[in-house]
Amino acid sequence: MKKMLICNDNVTGIFSAIYEAWKTERDEDNAGIVLRGNMEQELFCEYIEVEETEKKALAVEHLIKKHLGSQAYLDIYQAVLAHDKDKVNAIFGTMLAARKIADSTKIMNHLSHRSVEKVFELSRQVGGEAHQFKGFLRFKELDNGVLFAQIEPKSQVLTCIAGHFSDRLPLENFMIYDRTHNMFLVHQAKSQWVLVWGEQINMEKLNKVSQAQKEYECLWKAFCKSISIKERENARLQKQNLPLRYRQDIVEFQQ
Amino acid sequence: MRITETMTVQDKLNILSDAAKYDVACTSSGTSRHGDGTGMGNCELTGICHSFSADGRCISLLKILFTNECIFDCKYCINRSSNDVPRASFTPDEVCRLVMEFYRRNYIEGLFLSSGVMKSPTYTMELIYAALYKLRHECNFQGYIHVKAIPGASQDLIAKVGFLADRMSVNLELPTAESLKLLAPHKTRKNILTPMRLVQNAAIQNKQEIALYRNAPRFVPAGQSTQMIIGATPESDYQILNVAESLYKKFDLKRVFYSAFIHVNEDASLPARRQEGPPLLREHRLYQADWLLRYYEFEAQELLSEDNPNFNVLLDPKCNWALKHLEYFPVEVNRADYHMLLRVPGIGYKSATRIVKARRLGVLNFADLKKIGVVLKRALYFLTCSGKMMYSTRIEEDYITRNLLNVKEKLPAGVAGMTYKQLSLFDDVNFRKEQFVVHEGNREAPIESLLG
Repeated sequence: MKKMLICNDNVTGIFSAIYEAWKTERDEDNAGIVLRGNMEQELFCEYIEVEETEKKALAVEHLIKKHLGSQAYLDIYQAVLAHDKDKVNAIFGTMLAARKIADSTKIMNHLSHRSVEKVFELSRQVGGEAHQFKGFLRFKELDNGVLFAQIEPKSQVLTCIAGHFSDRLPLENFMIYDRTHNMFLVHQAKSQWVLVWGEQINMEKLNKVSQAQKEYECLWKAFCKSISIKERENARLQKQNLPLRYRQDIVEFQQ
Repeated sequence: MRITETMTVQDKLNILSDAAKYDVACTSSGTSRHGDGTGMGNCELTGICHSFSADGRCISLLKILFTNECIFDCKYCINRSSNDVPRASFTPDEVCRLVMEFYRRNYIEGLFLSSGVMKSPTYTMELIYAALYKLRHECNFQGYIHVKAIPGASQDLIAKVGFLADRMSVNLELPTAESLKLLAPHKTRKNILTPMRLVQNAAIQNKQEIALYRNAPRFVPAGQSTQMIIGATPESDYQILNVAESLYKKFDLKRVFYSAFIHVNEDASLPARRQEGPPLLREHRLYQADWLLRYYEFEAQELLSEDNPNFNVLLDPKCNWALKHLEYFPVEVNRADYHMLLRVPGIGYKSATRIVKARRLGVLNFADLKKIGVVLKRALYFLTCSGKMMYSTRIEEDYITRNLLNVKEKLPAGVAGMTYKQLSLFDDVNFRKEQFVVHEGNREAPIESLLG
């Protein structure tokens, strides 16, 4: 009977499930992994809850880095963050496929393999979205000097952009709120960033912006207007480059 | 000239960003740098777009002029000295404050600082240097800075500014020396090429220093670029592309930017104002060809010639080349070398790399190519997988042309919306011939000969 492992949709959960599948079955036909809340029950399957531990996740991370290389780990890690219900099986399939080729570190080049191609595609999607938010994210300065930003990404991009913003603004206290997954990235000046989830936020406090904030918003909006060339105006091209879904949190598109 | 006594930063920003909008090249790519933890900023190799303005162009840098109080009288320029427009100048402090506060809020990736010529080129360059010095050393800003070198400014000053900036550019303005003489009477080709050569030599020297001392200060790490106006003067695409090619080869430029001419001034030496607006499709074709030169190992000679000096309106330059060279096709995907794959329409340089890597692990078929990112509707006429074409097609120029024209080329929105009548506009550049005589003999004096 096929074993179906149920796990939570986060890095630790997914890696724990891969750990179990790898240890017991190591075969795509006899084991599958499904995300909690996203299950379509199949017949003749045994459903097992996976126990989620840090230790299993680290073991899988180590396994991938050792045998598939750090570049492939990055692709797999990004695929884990994607918004897709079959991602875990694609990752598992990729790891199994790597066992069959001569040099397993070259696995991500094997694009004619179905699972590898899927992981590659997901990784590109997540990487692309993270890159977009590096540009389209907007901080506002609250009256206590903290920078605050909100985003609504499809995939869990916070950890992909955390290093970038911490490196860029080392002396700032900032917080990025991911509305889709209800997660926060918190960075305190001169220290490491941390990821926080399962907390409630006080929206009232976050709407109190500093005096300077309004002034710079005005300056920025005026700049965005005057930099456009009237003779070349082209709303379609603008929409193609900056899709509407990003605009809700971008200050220059707010009235 | 209007004299305005008190001006707020808001007024200045309005005037000086409006005046800078015709500068192209709002890119922040080409350099990768971590922050050092003492200030603000870093650089990403690919560059980051922060917003897009209503014309669909990317806003990556705070693009401003330092001043538009210009003593030059270039006929195509909105800030020419004889125009009656509001004038303003920033102070170095104001520039720093805007950059730091915008950057902090993640509005911008850095600064693009250009300027009109105030009093003299050297004087202007000194002001720019002061602003950049303050930004780098007092504000500890480590983000991207693109600065214009003002032709005619002192050489020392240009070299000093280069150590503060990531990219430097000198505007070529117009493709040929004759055009420049006609439309920008205060500028000469020699004056423009001298600082370009200076930046090139300083960059080469800097490379050796870095090889010796890893922490030596970096001179324009993102390289040098330039821009020229397309469609203000009657050069052919062939001439323009040749100029671009020699700039890449002889001056090690990173990028050449083309900007479709926009009517802002009335002047007898400018082309007559027409209904259609700027020649955007022509600009687009030039950028396509420019990519073929930089990433696809093409040469200007292969794409155009004396007899056939302008781009095809209906087909992109790569398709056009392939149709004229059917003897090389079809190409076998599983065997052809990388350089040949690059020349197949529908295969980009990224998919070519992926193909080369993926075929080591297994035989590729058309479905795999599609996943890899090859545009099959264009590539299928030029490819075989394991000896078979995708459909039975004839390798005939007429047949393939007809089929390629049936699949719509994916033009940028807006350019694609142009009607056929508008498409033909640049085939017939309506110049008043008597005002502009191109001397056939020395039409394209080789660029380097001007510098001796």
